[in-house]
Amino acid sequence: MVTLEKIAHLSADCVFDSLGPEININPEKLSSLGEGTRHDICASTYSPRESPLPGICHAFTQDGRCVSLFKTLYTNHCSHQCNYCINATNCSRRVQIFSYTPDELARITLSLYRSNYIEGLFLSSGAGRDEDMIMERMIETLERLRKRYGFPGYIHLKILPGSSQAHIKQAMELADRVSINLEAASAAHMNEICATKSYENDILQRQRYIRDLRTKENLPAGQTTQLVVGAAGESDQDIFKRILYEYNDIGVKRAYYSAFSPQKGTAFESREGQPLWREHRLYQIDWLYRVYNFPPEDIKMAFDEEGFLSNSDPKLAIAGALLDSPLDPNVASYRELVRVPGIGPRSAKRIVALRKTRKIGGKRELESLGVVIKRAAPFLKINGWRDTTLEMWSG
Amino acid sequence: MRVPDDYCRYLAMHEKSGERLLARAKGFKAMDLELSGDPEAVRLKKMVYAVMGEMHRMKAFIRLQPLGSRVLWGYLKPRHRIGEHISEHFARRNPGTIIVLGNGSESWTALFCQGRILRDHGAGLNETLDRLKAALKMQEKDKEADATGTELDGPNANDLDANGPDMDDIWQTYYDSQYCPERKNPQAFRQRMPSRDQQSAGLRLVQKKKEMTLEDYLDPGSSKIL
Repeated sequence: MVTLEKIAHLSADCVFDSLGPEININPEKLSSLGEGTRHDICASTYSPRESPLPGICHAFTQDGRCVSLFKTLYTNHCSHQCNYCINATNCSRRVQIFSYTPDELARITLSLYRSNYIEGLFLSSGAGRDEDMIMERMIETLERLRKRYGFPGYIHLKILPGSSQAHIKQAMELADRVSINLEAASAAHMNEICATKSYENDILQRQRYIRDLRTKENLPAGQTTQLVVGAAGESDQDIFKRILYEYNDIGVKRAYYSAFSPQKGTAFESREGQPLWREHRLYQIDWLYRVYNFPPEDIKMAFDEEGFLSNSDPKLAIAGALLDSPLDPNVASYRELVRVPGIGPRSAKRIVALRKTRKIGGKRELESLGVVIKRAAPFLKINGWRDTTLEMWSG
Repeated sequence: MRVPDDYCRYLAMHEKSGERLLARAKGFKAMDLELSGDPEAVRLKKMVYAVMGEMHRMKAFIRLQPLGSRVLWGYLKPRHRIGEHISEHFARRNPGTIIVLGNGSESWTALFCQGRILRDHGAGLNETLDRLKAALKMQEKDKEADATGTELDGPNANDLDANGPDMDDIWQTYYDSQYCPERKNPQAFRQRMPSRDQQSAGLRLVQKKKEMTLEDYLDPGSSKIL
């Protein structure tokens, strides 16, 4: 232990960052540009840098979603015509146009970070009149943060569709993660929702640039993408097909889904909004593919004839289609175990670890390993015991 | 697997921890705690999780306020003995800045400087901040005396009485902008922002704080802070 006086004395020898002059910020601007990103998903801020940044959620809104990044638009001025977006040129409800300056945005971010409101910045933007110019301003913001203010926090930057390779490269050197929103599941669906973006050239081609420019040093948290679900009448299978391409060929770390909800004044104002459960079920199959490592053929069992998921657990549907006799947890392989509803990767690993030393005796023990026994029991048998409540085994 | 190998460190910080408990815990490996259904192991595991959980949420919920340009301070009244760990976390997050966390009866000060961590555990928050302020002022005077004739180093001057921007106001406006009413889910909110932990960090998170009336604050159903 040292004394307070000594700490005060030593701090004088330290290089510390000054916040500079007071921040005067128009609350309407803060609110408007913040609102522009409220449908974007914050997700984890984990970044595998030399000293890894852990994922911390500093707050949640009343909708239960995490607010751990300062998520904002650089400007809400946009020249695209996306039929679902309130900032589109074809939206009849005109909103006031706001824009930050790089230094203003950098200083707000740094101050919020130091006061522990946020883990970092999530910066998106309308395309402005000229997307190259907006892209430059966003990169300048990041440069100020990193180089002038020594900001060590997390940065997620949205790459504007059609950005140049040079800009993408600069962005990747400063950000932890970048993303380009796919929005639609295919070029045909993109035509349906936006007349001014080329799916192949403005989006997929830019994703490939990011993939090819990635090295070990830059962009520690990789690239991600996001889709608007159900605005163009696409099926869940259309989306899943696209997502397989994204994970396997583009190498995105994660895909995010945002159920379409009609906004006032937009061209899609009178289209029916998508139920939130659709988004939830898509996340579930995404999880089964990415975390549980289910093969795509298995996951396809969850789609109906039209290629849609129902509002029920896809894992249960897949198990019902593929497990034809009860499993013995003392013998079944890891792959078989994770297929059982109520057993996830963690409990499956624990089962495999425990049975190396001794046999698993019964339900109780499985429960203490994290198995949700109520859901798993119909698919299991232990030492001859099995649950006969499920009709599928009785035939 | 969740129980860390050095789980005894966390166990030692538990409010009900003691020498006898720690001696008993030495008989278990992390893996045993993770997998065993033995009541003693389950109890220890729960204690480890309780400490880790509170640590995680304090790192998330504490808000820091600047005092001059060298000090960031915040309220903390944890259930477990994690004050030192948490103030060290914030010191590493803000190298060169003195971090003071505490409440009416105790405080934890930390500074991460040139690769070293310095700590102090002392009296209540106000008293500690006053002492620190005095020490910093004293230093400033010495410096001035040394540097007669030269100018003070502008933005880095240790101006203890300057009012910084009200970050809470800025943040509240931003926070309100992020809410999607069509997704309203108060149950998820309560679960993820346990009011007990909000209290420990001196936080009270509400949507649209500015539109609240005095009655909302006096509502007996809502939890009091501080």
